[in-house]
Amino acid sequence: MSETIFHTEDLVKTYHTGGTEVRALSGVDLDLYGSELTVLLGPSGSGKSTLLNILGGLDHATSGLVEFRGRDLTLLSDRELTRYRRDHVGFVFQFYNLVPSLTARENVQMVTDIAPNPMRAEEALARVGMSDRIDHFPAELSGGQQQRVAIARAIAKRPEVLLCDEPTGALDSSTGVQVLEAIRDINEDLGTTAIVITHNAAIQGMAHRVVHFQDGNISTVSTNDTRLAPSQIEW
Amino acid sequence: MHALDKKLLRDFKRLWGQSLAIALVLACGVMILLTAFGMYRALDDTLEAFYERNEFADVWAATEKAPRPLLREIAALDGVQRAEARVQEYLMLDLPGRVKSATGLALSLPDNGALPGLNVPLLRSGRLPDPQATDEVLVTEPFAQANGFVLGDTFDALLSGQKRSLKITGTALSPEFVYAIGPGTLMPDDTSFGVMWLPQAMLASAFDMSGAFNSVSLSLTRGANEPQVIDALDDLLAPYGGTGAHGRDQQASNAFIATEIKQLKNMATILPPVFFGISAFLVNMVIGRIIALERGEIGLLKALGYTDLHIAAHYVLLAGLTALLGIVIGWITGGMSARWMAAEYAQYFKFPYLIFNVSYDAYAISGFLALLTAAIGALRSAMAAATLPPAVAMSPPAPPRFKRSLFDRLLAALRLSQPSMMIWRSLFRWPLRAAMSAVGLSLAVAIMISVGFFSYSINAVSDIAFDQSNREDTVLLFAKERSLSALEDVRKLPGVEEVEGELYTPVKLRNGWREKQLSIITRGEGATLARSIDEVGHVVEANGSGLLITTRVAEVLGLRPGDQVEVEFMTGRRETYWLTVSGITEQFLGLGAYMSREAMARLTRTEPQISVANVSLDPRQDMAFNTAIKEVPMISGAVRVTDMKASFAATVDENISIMNGLFSIVAILITVGLTYNSARIQLSERARELASLRILGFSNWEVSFVLVGEIMLIAALAQPLGWLIGYGLGELMAASFSSDLYSIPMVLPPAAYARASLVVLATSFVSVMLVRRRIDRLDLVSVMKTRE
Repeated sequence: MSETIFHTEDLVKTYHTGGTEVRALSGVDLDLYGSELTVLLGPSGSGKSTLLNILGGLDHATSGLVEFRGRDLTLLSDRELTRYRRDHVGFVFQFYNLVPSLTARENVQMVTDIAPNPMRAEEALARVGMSDRIDHFPAELSGGQQQRVAIARAIAKRPEVLLCDEPTGALDSSTGVQVLEAIRDINEDLGTTAIVITHNAAIQGMAHRVVHFQDGNISTVSTNDTRLAPSQIEW
Repeated sequence: MHALDKKLLRDFKRLWGQSLAIALVLACGVMILLTAFGMYRALDDTLEAFYERNEFADVWAATEKAPRPLLREIAALDGVQRAEARVQEYLMLDLPGRVKSATGLALSLPDNGALPGLNVPLLRSGRLPDPQATDEVLVTEPFAQANGFVLGDTFDALLSGQKRSLKITGTALSPEFVYAIGPGTLMPDDTSFGVMWLPQAMLASAFDMSGAFNSVSLSLTRGANEPQVIDALDDLLAPYGGTGAHGRDQQASNAFIATEIKQLKNMATILPPVFFGISAFLVNMVIGRIIALERGEIGLLKALGYTDLHIAAHYVLLAGLTALLGIVIGWITGGMSARWMAAEYAQYFKFPYLIFNVSYDAYAISGFLALLTAAIGALRSAMAAATLPPAVAMSPPAPPRFKRSLFDRLLAALRLSQPSMMIWRSLFRWPLRAAMSAVGLSLAVAIMISVGFFSYSINAVSDIAFDQSNREDTVLLFAKERSLSALEDVRKLPGVEEVEGELYTPVKLRNGWREKQLSIITRGEGATLARSIDEVGHVVEANGSGLLITTRVAEVLGLRPGDQVEVEFMTGRRETYWLTVSGITEQFLGLGAYMSREAMARLTRTEPQISVANVSLDPRQDMAFNTAIKEVPMISGAVRVTDMKASFAATVDENISIMNGLFSIVAILITVGLTYNSARIQLSERARELASLRILGFSNWEVSFVLVGEIMLIAALAQPLGWLIGYGLGELMAASFSSDLYSIPMVLPPAAYARASLVVLATSFVSVMLVRRRIDRLDLVSVMKTRE
């Protein structure tokens, strides 16, 4: 088994909204390993996005331990978290979150401008099959194309982990498959640890491991002996 | 170029309308700062240079006739560096091809053929008159130019009743007459008044001043005590009919320029902060909204690893680009308007040169202030953006919290329509923003009112000064005091319908430590041409042995009717009396005190005398009259009140309409900046709400009402505040423009308020209607789908 990238112990996150306390994560223990493609599966509100945000350094845990390569993320300051995101993590969001006033290439350059050892924007876009739309603005791209640009943007910094939050959530089946293929290729070709959050059970077939979420905690963890190719997935 | 920089430029391009609206307001601040500061510096520098190079004196005094040797005693006074004596007389001029008389102020040049040591005329062309010549004269350059004279030309002058032909040998400019106004006039008129220098010998023999002088000027040593020197000089000159020495503050030309410089300084300090304040608010509003709209992008940037500083800088730079645009526009227009102002000043102020240094520091300061303004405006929002936790930034903002309050019950009780309800709720949901917008708009109203009152005030000044007080057509000045019989001689002149005499007696009025030098004007009882008017517009005369004083004198000396005032006469027996203030008269031009002819004669134990004659004329005999007075020896000058009134109205009208136009533009720019941006932000915040209304079946116009209604409601609420601030600002302006030379009353009829409000409301309406068009283009489906 390869090395442990993320390790959490009794991870708790509570939100206070309008006087009521919401427990988004209630004591999550989880290990995620290098070069693995993990799918976090669960209904909305089960806490998987909260976990991803904490793993990605976007949010603080309320209590518990979360380690990246043995380094306790809960001890990091905001400045150190920024550094951590910049150097190690690539994000893919459900709604792509491309900057509308920048072209595909420029959206990727946003990352290559500040990352320590990035690949060229063109190369990142080629990896997701977007070479021919490189100078298009987001408004000129389909949803699937926008999401592939977002993936290119995430991988351009050669991150160690790729965190994808419902990457196909806003897409139909056939365009979603193209996006999943791009994620799988990155995982296989570059060895990037990929964590994909989804409520879409069909996607779990492409993962090495599947972590099932329910009510803020892990219900089961299963391993796929034979993985499906994205092209075999349909919803 | 970094991708983030590209985003910056594209965002700026997308926001060009809003940015331009802000930039223009900012540009106003920069422009006014640059113009006022630049001109203030130019005037100040030029004046200082001219004064220093041409030995402008510190103290002046006039006497009836003092012996030359007295000059040595004067020069020996403590604190005096240099003393210069001369003969100074007003001459009636008869210029070729001109029917109307003109007045010349003749100054003697030293016997040795050199220039005087103080108040040195700067030779502009030709040469000085020969000291022995009896027909040569050096004249001021503007006088020569205005009358079309070239070197060698001649004109006639009455010297002690003797007509002499004088040949122009040269032209000059003098630091004493940068702003040159003739006796009894209000505004420079180079065709009818000129200063001229004649040889001492010739002037002295003509006016019986051989071995004597009647004017002395002094320069003081560094650290000299000016009041002490003035007192000592007065003591020395008293036996020779000294009429009271004064410093630069009462030197006519210098006092006018000093007033102008003070006004420019006020303008440079009072106005720009208003524009910068409004700009900061606008930037704050717009950047705040952009950040609200870009929460997702901010979250993304953070997720990508951009630091807080990166993000804050990004939005501050966006404001910076707007500031840059404003600075460029402000610098260009400021440069142009400074040049225009310089040309305007050249009309009134006769400098030999204008030291108009491009003051790089003024450019730098105005640019820095504009950038600072934008940065301050953007900083709070940018900091808020930078400190948004990334996970929060990525989720849509919670809907604004509306709470039920007493106010809601009131609205409900009023049974307002839902769109009206939306307007009121929004106003009370963001009361600070609504209040700031209203304050901004009220400043636009105030700015218009604060200059709008000028035309009404000047009309009032003109009405009181000419239509009610000085109703004569011409004032004839006598070379010396005359007995009342002189009026009979004047009455015989062609075209004279009525004639009345006045006596000007120089005095010092004192109330405790407060003192003013002025002339008491003595009139016959029941005078109808020149009269005094009280505050409510009734004719008022000095009664008994009392003294009637003007409002300004009453203010300056702290006097009220019934008070006793110490009056020191500067002529005749030079006695000091205590007189009772019998009343106050409204007079906006100059200082004054009035007394009845009989009372004055009793007081001074002399026959009643006059020093001027006020004349009303048959207009058909105007020419004959003007030709005739040139031949009357006792008349040393004539002031044509009718001409003065016309030129006063013309000059003032021109300046006021330029000012009004300029400030209207400024008010319009402020209004556009505020309403256009407010409307754009309203629309952006409420696109979903308004689209929902459309989907529910409201018409375009019903939906537009929500947007237009709120903006116009704010604009309407701004009006009363604007009137109030405008009144206050106007009073401040009137006070800052008022001096001993003239004062400006505060006259603000309802029309002035109405005009300002109309301009601001109409501009608001047009601006919001421009934005309203976007409601017609609202894509209902996509708006409803947009996440936010």
